[in-house]
Formats: sequence, C-alpha cells, structure tokens
Amino acid sequence: MDTFIQQLVNGLSLGSLYALIAVGYTVVYGILQLINFAHGEVFMIGAFGALTTSLVLFNGNTALWTLPVMIIGAVIASVVTAVLMERFAYRPLRHAPRLAPLITAIGISVFLQELVRLNYNQVPFTNWNPFNLPDAKSLIPFPEIDVVTGPAFQVGGVTIQREAIFTIGALLVCSVLLWWFINHTKMGHGMQAVSQDQDTARLMGIDVDRVIVVAFAVGAALAGVAGVAQGLQNHNIDFHMGFLAGLKAFIAAVLGGIGNVAGAVVGGLVLGVVEAMATQYIPGQFGGSPWKDVWAFILLILVLVFRPQGLLGEKVADRA
Amino acid sequence: MMKILTVPPGVVARHGSKAWPLGLAGAGLLILGSLLSWSYDPQVLGDLSISFNPGGLQIMAIALALFAVILLLARKGPLTFLGQWADTAKGLNALATWTLLFMAMVVVAIAVEAGGLINVQPGCWVSLLGAVALFVASRLVVSRKTRDLAEALLPGWAEILVIVVIMAALLFGTAYALNVADGWVLLLFLVFATAMAIGGTRAGLMSWLGHVSLRRRRELILASFAVAFCFPLTQGGSDANMSIAAQVLVFAAAAMGLNIVVGLAGLLDLGYIAFLGAGAYVGATLSTSGFATIGWKPPFIVVILVAACFSGMLGLIIGTPTLRVNGDYLAIVTLGFGEIFRLTMFNLDGNNGPDLTHGPNGIPAIPDLIFGNFNFGDTHYLLGIPLSRFSNYYFLLLILLAFVIMVFHRLNTSRIGRGWVAIREDEKAAEAMGVNVFGLKLLAFASGAFLAGMAGAIKAHVDVSVTPDQYVFLESAFLLAAIVLGGMGTIVGVLLGAVILKLLPEKLRFFADYRLMLFGLLLVLMMRFRPEGLVASRRRQLEFHEEDEELAVRVEGDIAEEVQG
Repeated sequence: MDTFIQQLVNGLSLGSLYALIAVGYTVVYGILQLINFAHGEVFMIGAFGALTTSLVLFNGNTALWTLPVMIIGAVIASVVTAVLMERFAYRPLRHAPRLAPLITAIGISVFLQELVRLNYNQVPFTNWNPFNLPDAKSLIPFPEIDVVTGPAFQVGGVTIQREAIFTIGALLVCSVLLWWFINHTKMGHGMQAVSQDQDTARLMGIDVDRVIVVAFAVGAALAGVAGVAQGLQNHNIDFHMGFLAGLKAFIAAVLGGIGNVAGAVVGGLVLGVVEAMATQYIPGQFGGSPWKDVWAFILLILVLVFRPQGLLGEKVADRA
Repeated sequence: MMKILTVPPGVVARHGSKAWPLGLAGAGLLILGSLLSWSYDPQVLGDLSISFNPGGLQIMAIALALFAVILLLARKGPLTFLGQWADTAKGLNALATWTLLFMAMVVVAIAVEAGGLINVQPGCWVSLLGAVALFVASRLVVSRKTRDLAEALLPGWAEILVIVVIMAALLFGTAYALNVADGWVLLLFLVFATAMAIGGTRAGLMSWLGHVSLRRRRELILASFAVAFCFPLTQGGSDANMSIAAQVLVFAAAAMGLNIVVGLAGLLDLGYIAFLGAGAYVGATLSTSGFATIGWKPPFIVVILVAACFSGMLGLIIGTPTLRVNGDYLAIVTLGFGEIFRLTMFNLDGNNGPDLTHGPNGIPAIPDLIFGNFNFGDTHYLLGIPLSRFSNYYFLLLILLAFVIMVFHRLNTSRIGRGWVAIREDEKAAEAMGVNVFGLKLLAFASGAFLAGMAGAIKAHVDVSVTPDQYVFLESAFLLAAIVLGGMGTIVGVLLGAVILKLLPEKLRFFADYRLMLFGLLLVLMMRFRPEGLVASRRRQLEFHEEDEELAVRVEGDIAEEVQG
C-alpha cells in the first residue's frame, strides 16, 4: 500500500508540472485552434528567467523571500516571449493554411532553444557577458531555495519531497486564480466568448486580438511558474528541457480534452499518475523508467483512437 | 525588396529615357573594373590581384554584366526580338539589385579578410560604381506588355540545346561550388547564382523553360540524370565531396518520400525519420556485421525489400488509428511515434528488453555491399577516372532517388494523386464526391514509409553504423524543412531544398554554431513571406494566395496546356 501511495504522490507532483504547462496549450487551442508547438520553449525560458533573476539580483542567495521574485522574473520572461511570438510569428499567419503555423512553431522552437544555448552567457556575436551568467550549453544548477527544497518529509512509509509540495501547491494556487480570472473578470468572459464564436464575439465589441494576446500570456505565465517548479524538482535546468516537457504537456491537454481548461489540469494529473504507476507496476523488462515515455505516448495514441475528445472534452466538429 | 526600392512614377517619367545609356555605361564599368585588379592581397578570395587576368569572382561579375547588357539590348538595339517576349524591366530590376549586393559583399569580404578597406583596389571600386549605375538605371526602366510565352516556339534542336546548356551549367556550377574551400567565395557564388536565377525568372526565362519542359519532358529528365551521373566524374576520385553528395542523396530520397505524405496528401508527419531509421535498423541487423543480432543473412535485394515492407507495416500500424483523427493531432501522434521508435531502439539493449539493437551503442561495423564481383568499398575506374567508395554508393542512391521520383510522379499524375489534391483542399467535399479519404490517406502514409525504408537500408551501409541518435526529432524537422523550403508537392523544389539544407551546413563551417538558429529563423520567415516555397507549383501557390485572380487564370492555362501536351 505504501508503494502505491508513494507512486501516487510522485505521480501527482509530476502531473502538476504537466498540468501547469498543459493549460497554455489548451487556452490557445480553445481560442485559435492552433497547437502552439513552441510552448515547451516558453516553459524553458521561464526557468531561465527565474535562474537569471536569482543570479543577477540575489547573487545566489537562497532565502525563501527570493522565491516570489524569482517567480515574477520567470513569468515576465515567459510572457514576453509568448507575446512576441504571437505578435511576430503567429498573427501574420492567422488566415494561412493550417500547415503554416505548425511549421512556424517548429521554427520558433528550434530558434529559441539555440538562442538560449548559444547566447545565454553572451550578447549575440560578441563575447560580452555583462552579468557573468553561466554557459547554457550544458546543465546549469538551479538555486536550491530554503524551505521548499531540503530534507523530505516522512509520513508513515511515504516520502514526500518538499519540491513536490511546492509544485502541487503552485498548481492549486494557479488553478484557483485561473478559475477566478476566466469566470469573474471581463477579460475572462471575453475569452469564453471568443472561444465559442470568434465572429460573433467581435460583433459584440470584444477586441479579439487582445483576447488572443491575453490567452498566450496566461498560458505563458503558468508555464513560467512550471519552469520554476521544474528547476526546484530537478535541481538543474538546460536549454533542451522544453522539448519533452512540452510534448508530455500536450499529451496531457489532449487527454483532458484540448480546449478545456479544467481538462488540462485533470489530464496532467492523470498522465503523471499513469507514468508513475507504469514505472512501478508494469512487470518485466518493459516496466521501469526507461520505458515511461513510451507508455505516455502509447496512452496518447490510445486516447486519440478511443476518445479523441478527451476525458472532459465535448464532441467537437472536425478541426482540420 | 522590390517594394522598398521603387522610385516615384514622376521621377521615372522624367528620367526614363536616361535609363538605357546609364545601364549600358554601368555594365561597361562593371566589366572594365572586373578586368582590373580588385585587391592588393593575393591571398584573399582566390587571387584577384592581377589586372587583365580575372579570377573566379571577377568572371562572375563579368557574367552578371553581360546578362544585364543582353537585357538592355533586348529593350533597344539588336536583340529587340527578345524584348517582345521577355519582361526586361523586371529582370533588370532583380538582376541589378543582386549585382549590387554581390559587389557590396565583395568589398566587405576583402575588407574583412585582408584587414581594412585600404586593401580594396581601384578596380573593385570601379566595378562597384558600375553596379550602382546599373542599379539606378534598373529603377528607371518600365515594364512593357509582353506576349504569351507559351507561343514562343524554337526549333526542336534549339530547345534541346538550351536544356543541355542549362544542365551543363548546373553540373559545372555545383562542381565548382563544392570545390570552393573559402566560405566567402562560396557565399558570393551563391549570391551570383541567385542573381542569375532571379534575373532570369523575373525576365520570364523560367516560365519559358517551364513551357519548354512541358513539351520536352523526356529530354529534360534524361539530361538531368545524365548530369547527375556525370557528377562523380568531376571529382577526380576525391571522397570528401562524394561523401557529402551521398548524404545529400539519402536526404533527398527521404525528403521525396515525405513529400508524398506532406506535399501530395497534405498529412503533416513529424516522425518520418523513424521510418528511415526502421529501414536502417533492418538493413543493419540483417547485414553480415559481427554485431548484427539476427542470424538470417539474405542477399541485399531481399534485405532492402524486407526493410521497405517493415517500414511500410509500421506506417500502416501507426496510420490506421491516427488517420481517422484530424490534421494537428496527426502531427503530434507521428511526433510521438518518432520518439517511441527512438526510445525503443535506445532501450532494446538486453537490460531493458531483448537485446536487438545494442541500445545507445547501435550496430557498428556494417560491411560494404557486394553485388556479384562489384565491391562498393573498392575504388573502380571509369575511363581512367577513379570512382571511390562514396561514388559507388552515390550511383546506387541515384538509382534509388530516380525510383522514388518515378513513384512520386506516377502517383501524383494518377487518379490517386487527384484524390489527394481533393483531400488536401477540402476533405469533406472530397468524401462527398466519393473519394475514399481514409484509404487514400493510408496509402500515402504507407507508401511514404515504404520508400523511406528502402532509403534507410542503403543508408545503413553508407554510414557503416546505425545508432538511435541519428534519428532524433530534429532530423524529421529538417526533412520537413527541405520540403517547405523547396516547395511542397514539387519534385525540383524538394530536390533543391534537400541540397540546400544538407550542403550549406557542410560548406559554411564558419556558421557552424549558428546554423540551427538560422534554420529556425528561416522556417519562420519562409512561412511568413513565401509559404509556397522557392519553387512553387502554381496550383500550390494558389492554395496559399486564394484571392489572386490573375494567378487563378494562369493556373487554368497551365492545366489546359498539360492536358494538351
């Protein structure tokens, strides 16, 4: 029983991370029917934003009070990235065939990864490194903040990492804020309206362009928080971390029903738990962590075959 | 570029008459300057320091000037018979812009390489001045009405001669570019080639060639393959370029297979590299390598068929469930499949599963192919010219590529191809018209996978070893980029895209660090400014520019001509 609860806790903490990123996919998809493939990179840049804030402002100080500032730094970095991306890459393609934005997203993804890899510690084409930042070509240690990292708690036979509590807590707080934003603000109502019927919403006086920017920004803000959580959990970050995390989060979004915000959260948690359980309970050589990504992808394919609208999604018309 | 650099119509009306003499003077200056010395330093950009002995770049400048002179004389002078067909103004516009860029880059290159503008000799300044004059003149010419190029008929032998000349230019251009060691010279050569190509395209040369190639399809195909076959003979047995060329061909064959899936059927497959990988792993495990894990050692012709069928089966397995869901999902599922494939190959190392692939170490030491007495590893001689290991594989890959292109073309022009166009443009309408949407999609997916499997089996032998890290997502993205860059659904475009994407990174080593970043940027910019690719089929172009009435009329004309021809 203890192992089961242990894996459940592991799964929930992993799943919270997926859920935070998955919201970004789902919000944008709900409004534009666009898979923002580069969202994983927004998450990665969030993590680097937090790291940079810590290194530049606090010089590696790991007191708890720096954490909120780091989160703000992460959110600013990822939101700016996402908004620029929307403005300069996606907006001109709004009426292009569906293939065009997808290919653009792949391009952005490669570009952002390389930008961070090559230019994190130097201004492009120079050797100038004003803040003495580390080289991003390999793993960079992430600051280990007091209180939220450190020795794990023991509850009965179950080990609960402090980082896991932080991640799950971050998901809870973000979900509540997001729920409030969508249901109780004017902009939130606007987003709902645009996702139901863009043209009618426009006729009702909603600034659709602004709603779209806000959708990108909201998703990016949550991805930024996820970036911090990932940094704390893994104790290091690198330029490539967005690729797999982004894919997994996308699977989570599809699992929950893409376009459905609550679905993204549920999907993320389910995916995390399934991965953890698969690692533990699939017997023989095909269990274990080397195969957990394979199981996640197989889960995606199964969902698409048997319930393409996802766990919480409604049956939608063809989007192709 | 065209839009930024236009001159107000009033200026054109007042000074238009001066354009012709100014242009000729500019071209003259360009030629004169190119005959003089360009730089003091003989080490820079090949040797450009001796007057009246033009080096490579100076010959290019002279060629650009001569092209400009031809276009000018077609406006007024002995060549006016050309002027009634060709849009000389547009041609001059583009040609002069790129010529100016070429000369400006020469000055920059000399300044950077030799250390300062002081090393630029008067000859180079004269040429630059000529380019500026030509540029100004080109802004002042106006387009005239031209006749329909479909009516521009030459005697049969002359048309074939044109094809042969262009093919020869391609062959020697490529051979020259490959042997250039200096990054700057290569870059300048590319600017030169672009200038000639764009100048020709804008003047209407390309659309005329299009009409000719419709009439002379057979000769054109024959000439293309003759040129491709001659290519190793220009390399004098050197393996350096031939290994790149072999890689380019593998890449091109895979891209052409993906082109069936993406370009024809409009299905975005982001895990295509897995099919190439599946073929390569089959090729490796059934080879006589000491590390192969399966005891069965059939002849290669069987191996390649097994590899292709295995890949095709994988295509069916992954396609059957996913082709029922739509567009975007397919992209992600295929991406996921690509990752599953890589992870599986990575994990099957004996610890985490049966030992089939040796995990991350892969299967090394795959021996060279032997057909009868012909060992692909040995150097053979043809007409006294040595043909080394990679040249042998080059010929084999060329046959494969020809086969892939043939399959592509046959499918495209058949009933199946028209079904794909219908699905691509409007799936529901196609279904309502009785097109078997699911079956045709599956066919596209499986045939793409089948061809990739064949290419993979050969690739295993060319590369000597097969490892999982050769088949990462980025490779799939590169294949897709080759198609997007060249022009989806076209043959020439995708070949061009594959060559550019595989060749440039090899040759532009000084960009090594930044090339992936530039690649990402390139994808974004292409989608923004020319989503139909470098070489767009008109029909495809229309899909991206639906409101363009003029284009629609031309597409109808093309289809009518195709039907007649």
